[in-house]
Order: sequence, then C-alpha cells, then structure tokens
Amino acid sequence: MRRELRQYAIFALGFFVVLEAMLAIAIRWWPSFAENVGSLKNLSRPIPMLTEMIDLIEARGVGAYVAAQHFFKGCNTLGVAAAVLFAYSAIAGEAHRGTMEQWLARPVSRTRLLTERYLLGFAACALPILLTSATAPFLLARVEIEGVAQTMELSDLMRGAVHESLFLGTIYSLTFLLSAVGSEPLKIAFIMMFASIFEFAIYMVETITHYSVFRLADIETFDQINVSDALSMRAILGFVVFSIVCYLVALRAFARRVP
Amino acid sequence: MPDTVSPPAAELAHIQVAGLTRRFGPKVALHPIDLEIGSGITGLLGPNGSGKSTLMRILVGLVRPDAGTATVAGVRLAGDGTAVRKKVAYMPGEMHLYGELTGAQHLDWLLRGRGRQARRRAREGAEALELPLDRKVRGYSHGMKRQLCFAAAMAPDVPVRILDEPTDGLDPSRRSKFLEQLTRDAASGVSILLSSHHFGEVDRACDRLIFMSEGELVADETASSVADRARRVAHLSWSCDIDREAVERALVSHGVQLLHSGDKEVSLLLESPDPRPFLSRLAAAPEIDAPQTIEYGRISLQEFYRDLYGVEGC
Repeated sequence: MRRELRQYAIFALGFFVVLEAMLAIAIRWWPSFAENVGSLKNLSRPIPMLTEMIDLIEARGVGAYVAAQHFFKGCNTLGVAAAVLFAYSAIAGEAHRGTMEQWLARPVSRTRLLTERYLLGFAACALPILLTSATAPFLLARVEIEGVAQTMELSDLMRGAVHESLFLGTIYSLTFLLSAVGSEPLKIAFIMMFASIFEFAIYMVETITHYSVFRLADIETFDQINVSDALSMRAILGFVVFSIVCYLVALRAFARRVP
Repeated sequence: MPDTVSPPAAELAHIQVAGLTRRFGPKVALHPIDLEIGSGITGLLGPNGSGKSTLMRILVGLVRPDAGTATVAGVRLAGDGTAVRKKVAYMPGEMHLYGELTGAQHLDWLLRGRGRQARRRAREGAEALELPLDRKVRGYSHGMKRQLCFAAAMAPDVPVRILDEPTDGLDPSRRSKFLEQLTRDAASGVSILLSSHHFGEVDRACDRLIFMSEGELVADETASSVADRARRVAHLSWSCDIDREAVERALVSHGVQLLHSGDKEVSLLLESPDPRPFLSRLAAAPEIDAPQTIEYGRISLQEFYRDLYGVEGC
C-alpha cells in the first residue's frame, strides 16, 4: 500500500505542478487576451468551434476564459493523459512485469487490492484538478484590467472542477477496466490515447462535433454550470454510473484472473 | 501406484484435496486429484509442465479450480482464497520483484497482512543470508532475489508453507542451507509442500515424495520406500544392440520387473537389495551376452522416475 501511495502521490504532484503552471500562465495572459479578443476571433475564423468559444469568452468574461483555459484545454488534454497514465498499468503492469503472482500471493483480498488501486488512481486524477481550481481566485486577484481586479467565485470553480474530475474519472475507469483484463499496458495506453485524440479532433469539426465525448466537458457545459449555479445532475449521474460499472466489471474480471 | 502412502488421519492432514481439476483452454493442467498431506516436508516432483505449480497456485487461491475441493490448514478454499493465504506462506516459482524497492522495503511489501513479528523475523532471516537489505532489488542477482523471497516465506508463523521451486538457481551451499532451515521448520510441526525438478536435493530433505506427470499424480511414496526401491534398481548396458525379448524372457521373472528397456540397455527392479540371486541368473543365461556394465544400488531419483514412468527432463 505504501509503495502504491508513494507512486500515485508522485504522479499526482507532477500533474498538479504542470496543471497549476498552465493555469497561472493562462490567468496572467488574460488581460492581453481580453484586449486582443477581436484579433483572435479573426484568426480563429477557419475553425468555427474555436470562434464559438471566443465568442462565449467575449460575452461572459473571465469565468468563461478560465473554464476554457483550465477545464477545457488544461484538464481535458493533460488530464486525459494523466487519467490514462494513472490507469493503464495499474493491473496490466503487474502482469507485464511478472509481479502479479507475488502481489496476489499475500493475505489480502483481491477486492481490496483492486479497490485500493482504483481509488488511489482516481484520487490522483481528481485531486490536482480540485486543488488547482481552488487556486484560481488567488491567481486572478493578482491580475487587473483597467485597474479592476479580476474575480471568480470559488464555488463556481469547484463545481466545474467536480464536473471535470468526474468526466476524467470515466476515462480513467475505462482505462482501468482494460488494465484489469489485459496484460499489455502499452497497448492499452496507445488505444486510449489514440481514442482520446480522435475524440478531441472530431470535437473541432463542426459537422461531427456532437459525436465527441468532449462535448460533455466543453466551455458551453462549464458556462451552463456557472449560469445555473448548479452541477448538471444528469451528466454527473452518467459519469458516476459509467465509472461504477467499469469498476464492477474490472472487479469481476480481476477476481477470476490467473496470475 | 506402488507403495502408496496410506493417507494420514483427516484431522492431521494440513492439506486435503478432493477431485481438484483445472483446464487452461484445451489443455488439462490438472486431472482430478485426491491428496492428503500431513506435517513434515512433502516433495512435489515432476518435469516442467507436469502441473506442480498449478496445484500449488490452486492451494493458495491464486487459481480457481474448475472442479473439486481443497482444505488447507483447516480452511476450505473458497472465493479468492484470502482466508487460506492467512494460514499459508507461499513462495512463487517465478521471481519478479520491484526493482525500485530496497530489500527491506520489499520484505515489508511481501509481508503485508502478516504482522510486525513476521517482518522482524524476515529481516533477521535475510540478514542471516547476508542480503544487503538497504540496496535496491534491481541490483540483486537471481539467487539473492530468491533468498529474499525465501526469507519472506519462512517468516510468518503459519501451519503450512507452500514453496514452488525455492532452491532453483541457487548454488549447492545455499541449497543445503535452505533445506536445513526447512527441516528445522518441519520439525516444529509446520507442513511444507515443496516443489522441485532437482531430484537430488529433495530426496534428501523430504519425508514424502509425490511425483506428477502431465497433470496427474503418478507416485506417492515415503522417502524411505523410494530409497528402498532405488536400491533395488539395476541398470545393465551392452556395447551392441540386444535381443530385448531374450533378455526379458531370461531375466524378468521371480519378482524381477522390467522398468525400462532400450536398444543397448535395460533397467530392472530386483526382488531384494541383494543382487546375488539376480546375478546368478544372469550368469546362467547363455542367450544373453555379457553386459558391459552392471549398476545397482546407487540409482538417482531422476533415473529412478525416468525408468519407472518414462518421464525425461526432470
């Protein structure tokens, strides 16, 4: 347990540091973005999806900007990579390394071993998102536009962070399931990364954007959360149910797995 | 099955197996097996792929049987076998460890769920084997890794230890140390099931020998009965091809059994350790050429089982 805890803590720390750096740079760039939003819109004309995002930022201000930079860009790109990284070798890595027999030979139930890994990875994925989101108001307080300090409600940010964490949790859970049934971690990582990049790519194509899972965690989604001051329970329930199903299937497969 | 050990009384059996079966796809890894093992050291012998490791893995709950039941240390094997593993220390045959952990960290990891006393004993055991516990395991040789796992397997205070080829890859002096430690452990009442394909070592340490081939138990004997039978085996070899039928006609009678015959050799199980009656009959058989060599009384276990069951590669 201690070994796993240390390993996931290092991964989570790395994820947090990079995510925080990306957020800090994005917030520091906000005044410049706001000042040049017209030019940016012109530049984004060839990609209508991007233009829509900039339109929304122009209309809603800093809240939409942070949602776009932090949740949509930072968490959805880096977060997907982190979710896959935390899960792809969780079980398959033991089989690939040949350590699975030793791992399972101790007097600890398989349910416990699997659940520990699942929750540690899930926490390593979600905690950096929640923590970095919590720092956004402090970073914004250091940024002014025409002498006015920029602000955002912490509760809005935390709602977005919960939504994003659970969204990434589904990608993590699916990767974890593949890891629980597979023995080739690199193949699992490639499949998931390829699928994620493909999904992100089709998000940017206006005619097929609605087929992308990233519609579930895009700037419009976070804008809706901010406007309604509430999480989308339908989306949250979907994420949670999907993750639980993945976990239960993984548990069932793992219980019968031959080391 | 010759000289089969009479099963110990059920209450003394530390391991009881009934109708245990396991398939991997089309391959039958274990045919239905019935077995009772009491205290002392029991050697599970057989060539690679004979089903030894599968049987051991089933006994510690790592592999689920397709059919049959097993009770280990009074605990019926069920579910993922956690309850059994609390009463059993297991050392897998395949040695893959986490290179980034030190030897000491690895002992703690291996002994998760065993308690502080076991971890202390494991460290003491590893130090007695002169293992550098503060060094990362990636710097360990194969033998050192095996010794580390052996130290972990010997540390828990449990009634049963199941060790899959614990001496594989060790030098003879280390093997002797391991076997001495196992003998001491068994003397304290622990039941040890030990697999090996190194016949020379197990026949010295084991009280009982179970031989497996192609997923089946083909022999189950006390070490003394094996030694007694091995003393009665005679190997005869000739420099040119022999008439096997003539040899069999002349020699295989009066309690002498043919174990194995080749173009230039035969192996026979004599009626008693005294070879003189047999030698007299051999000398009195004019249809048989004088053999080039006659060996008896010093047959290795490996040769013995090869002669008995025709299994090579042990």
